[in-house]
Amino acid sequence: MLRTAVQLFRFRGLLATLTARELKARYRGSVLGFFWSLVNPLLLLAVYSFVFGLVFRRPVGGDSEPYAVFLITGLFPWIWASTSILEGTMSLITNAGLLRKAVFPAEVLPVVAVAANLAHFLLALPIVAVALVAGRALGHPVGGWPALLLPVVIALQLPMVAGLALGLAALNVHFKDVRDLLANLLTLLFFIAPIIYPLSAVTIRPLVWLIRANPFTPFVLAYQQTLFAGAVPGPWLWAQMAAVAALSWAGGAWLFARLRDTLVEAV
Amino acid sequence: MTGSPGAGSPADPAALAPVIRAEGVGKRFRRVAPGARLRTLKSALVDRNLTRGLAPEEAIVALDGVSFAVGAGEAFGVIGGNGSGKSTLLKIVAGILQPSAGTVAVAGRVAALIELGAGFHPEISGRENVYINGAVLGLSRREVDRRLESIIEFSGLADFIEEPVKHYSSGMYVRLGFAVAVHTDPDVLLVDEVLAVGDEAFSHRCLRRIEELLAAGKTLLFVSHALDTVEGLCDRVLWLDGGRPRHLGEPRRVVDAYRQAVAEEEGQVHREEKEQREEAAAADAGEGGRRWGSREAEVTAVRLLAGLGEGEERYRIESGERVTIELTVRAARPLADFVFGVAVATPRGVECWGTNTDLAGYRPGRLAGEVRVRVVCPALRLAAGDYRLDVAVHGREGAPYDYRSGVLGFTVASRTRGVGVYLPEHRWEFSGGVEWTSTPSSEAPRA
Repeated sequence: MLRTAVQLFRFRGLLATLTARELKARYRGSVLGFFWSLVNPLLLLAVYSFVFGLVFRRPVGGDSEPYAVFLITGLFPWIWASTSILEGTMSLITNAGLLRKAVFPAEVLPVVAVAANLAHFLLALPIVAVALVAGRALGHPVGGWPALLLPVVIALQLPMVAGLALGLAALNVHFKDVRDLLANLLTLLFFIAPIIYPLSAVTIRPLVWLIRANPFTPFVLAYQQTLFAGAVPGPWLWAQMAAVAALSWAGGAWLFARLRDTLVEAV
Repeated sequence: MTGSPGAGSPADPAALAPVIRAEGVGKRFRRVAPGARLRTLKSALVDRNLTRGLAPEEAIVALDGVSFAVGAGEAFGVIGGNGSGKSTLLKIVAGILQPSAGTVAVAGRVAALIELGAGFHPEISGRENVYINGAVLGLSRREVDRRLESIIEFSGLADFIEEPVKHYSSGMYVRLGFAVAVHTDPDVLLVDEVLAVGDEAFSHRCLRRIEELLAAGKTLLFVSHALDTVEGLCDRVLWLDGGRPRHLGEPRRVVDAYRQAVAEEEGQVHREEKEQREEAAAADAGEGGRRWGSREAEVTAVRLLAGLGEGEERYRIESGERVTIELTVRAARPLADFVFGVAVATPRGVECWGTNTDLAGYRPGRLAGEVRVRVVCPALRLAAGDYRLDVAVHGREGAPYDYRSGVLGFTVASRTRGVGVYLPEHRWEFSGGVEWTSTPSSEAPRA
């Protein structure tokens, strides 16, 4: 666990260079450049806003008003986390050539996927800001100074996402169905996280427990509280996030270290 | 070490200051049986063990009991056939693979030239890729900054350095990769065949650079099929045979022994081949013969034509006559790697002449559909006799697409008699004091 962290620190230059490579390569050769990376989240936002904001006409309770702004504060971080985990899981296979042909610290690759997607997330934050300002302008009490706590929430989610990406990437080298299982699992976790509905709208007790058991839930709640509600998350929520982050990192890094020596041959 | 006449030879630089020390190195690979890769997470979870079953059950021994030491400034060569474990050994020394047995210790900074341009991204410029490749090879950004000019100059790509790498030819790609690799300032250089990729001029430049590094006291571990290069460059050579060391010692002796063994092995194959050829030649007047290859590209027809290709098909030509060999080749799918070759041999298998587009300096771009390939010989000066034609389409590394041995038989006639297979244009001249009772009718017999 610690060794993996030390390795990552040691190769931070390589990490930065490869992350820059990912970003440059993605934005190179397209007219709209990085705006393309905003298309997908905006489209999702439009679809959910349409379905739950207009078609079902706010079935979800009063504290998610305005709905589009509520949605964006949970959705954008979710897209970062889920895309990072999926891409991170595939990263060792995608870069098999590097692992086989160069002396290369494999742990860097999943983390590069996480970092590149974090960059996309940060670049999309102005949209969140615009949404919050617009919400205020329309007379809703959204946002506020607790938004300044956002970096802390991100910093807590980072080891969670990176840990999962590391562990799953190592597993994915040996088991070819990890990716498919993961894609489905993430879809499931998306719907049992209070992203497209507020937790307060769920009234069935066992369902609330299920949602609370979702490891992504504390983070989603924290994003919504700091950005949307303009509230400081309570100590219990911070503790939950810290626990999930620590467990994910420890588990992922342990699994990665356990399988590390077999990766080059199996990839 | 088994049969190593050179071990402990008088000037054993390894004894002084070993930079690379391998002791009893062994490597086993898990056999990848059909279906084994299809192991799923689901089944592993059902078996309730994630890591069991990743241990080698059915192992292939790639290396077994390999020991050697390489001293500072020494050039150490490793030779052996395909699958002899050379590349595995190099990867273990590089630290890419872990040995299953024994130990390897390397002192100093290692540059492994196994794949040039590792980490290059096709969409971004050569300059930016230098930074990426540099980072992969362990250079910091600042270190690349300092070396950038020198790297670009060495690669000879100053005019293209802002272009995306996807527009580079494979030669340019390799040049840039090599330029970065040799600028990592390594103490130990591990080289695996990469020099065979670029063109001749660049290969020489690479070799010169390697020699410079050697002169500067760097250590080299060189894995290659190019025996002449190994012999010329290395101070000692290890011959691996089926993963086991067979000889270690002075380059000339080891290379000669290796060549001898390969020749003996191939001798049997050659003898069988020759018998078959002769049988085939006897069976249908030199036509038929042997054919092998993957048929990704196929030689569908071969004709020997009089003149520059406009003439009629011939099976009998006059020595020195202008002839054209025409191949009709059909590619099943577009190919980017191809070489056309022709060779002329006697029915007994003596090679008279052979050439191919690679030797002639043509670098393949694309081959698609059905094409005609012609070799125009303004004067085919073969001696009188029977010959057979071999034609081939293959990859630049030798992967056969379609080899047709003895595809065509033809006879060369000549008014001038001689022995051998070559009939150059010539005439006899004598000073005074030589007298003849009879001379050929023409003054200067034409070839």
